[in-house]
Amino acid sequence: MEQIFDHALLRQRRERAFRAAVKDADFLAAHVAADMAERLSLVERRFENPVQLHGVTPVTADLMEATGKTARFRFVADGMLDGLGGREQIVADPELSGLQDGSSDLIVSPLSLHLVNDTPGLMIQARRALRPDGLFLAAVPGAGTLGELRQSLLEAESHLTGGAHSRVHPFADVRDYGSLMQRAGFALPVADREDIVVRYDDIFALMRDLRAMGMTNAMAARSRTPAPRLLFDLAGEIYADRFSDPDGRIRATFAIIHLSGWMPHESQQKPLKPGSAKMRLADALKTDDVERGE
Amino acid sequence: MDSVRKEHPDTKLLELLVCPLTYAPLTYDAEKGELISEKARLAFPVRDGIPIMLVSEARQLEDKAPGSAG
Repeated sequence: MEQIFDHALLRQRRERAFRAAVKDADFLAAHVAADMAERLSLVERRFENPVQLHGVTPVTADLMEATGKTARFRFVADGMLDGLGGREQIVADPELSGLQDGSSDLIVSPLSLHLVNDTPGLMIQARRALRPDGLFLAAVPGAGTLGELRQSLLEAESHLTGGAHSRVHPFADVRDYGSLMQRAGFALPVADREDIVVRYDDIFALMRDLRAMGMTNAMAARSRTPAPRLLFDLAGEIYADRFSDPDGRIRATFAIIHLSGWMPHESQQKPLKPGSAKMRLADALKTDDVERGE
Repeated sequence: MDSVRKEHPDTKLLELLVCPLTYAPLTYDAEKGELISEKARLAFPVRDGIPIMLVSEARQLEDKAPGSAG
């Protein structure tokens, strides 16, 4: 399996972010967690064995528990999480769920699937860890996320050096995730996208925030030489030129893809077999059959 | 200061876990505080009641079948 993301580096970045503990740096995680909890609150069910899979903070589980739809969460993460308040945790590799088949009825994955080298593999593990009629909910940054930053950096770098490095992670689009969910064997898979636009004073404020979230570049094939300040100065100018509001502040898009799918169960709706219709389409449409010649 | 933290993990939690290499169930050695994967011949540590299911943190078991270790 090709290693796209450097997990050791990701952990370092995250630990650095936690040590710095910049106030409100978790605004994106909190916003997405609130969205996920709202989606869960619409499900007419209570979940007794919920698991949060590889989130950086327990905020998603906290908000979901607050809806009254779940029992206390368990956590799977690649490092020790803070703020669990005595809830159980398992430390596992980011590529693994670490869970036994059929051990859970709700698995939520907040902003972590995009950092996995084998996304379909982890989705399949999550499905198998669910009981029949169990629910999988995920939120993941998709194509378009930090598109403004990517474009500004690419252009600045190719202007300065005649070439460019990948400095912003690749993100899959909503259709890719939808078909991955289907391939992983989830029933009734749904994928939709919600753009969150954040405004900053300049490119440096954006970069500071990404660092505070532990979300800076962790690709295995990243450039190993530090980027010169000049690159960011120029990228900042391009950014401000193209993607700013009339008041001079710049826009950064986070295109969050929400995924949901169920472990297959008999009680779920399925399409009927072809030819099994008991009613004529013409009756349903309240029209007459029309004979059509060539 | 977290009074809810216990030394041994909950048995229900242990039932959830599988070996990250073989996906086989694990047995808990309460004396050593380790989770044993017989198939992989690895012992995973439990720290502050948190099972550490990382192969890099696991201890190699060597007590079985001398000569066939490796």
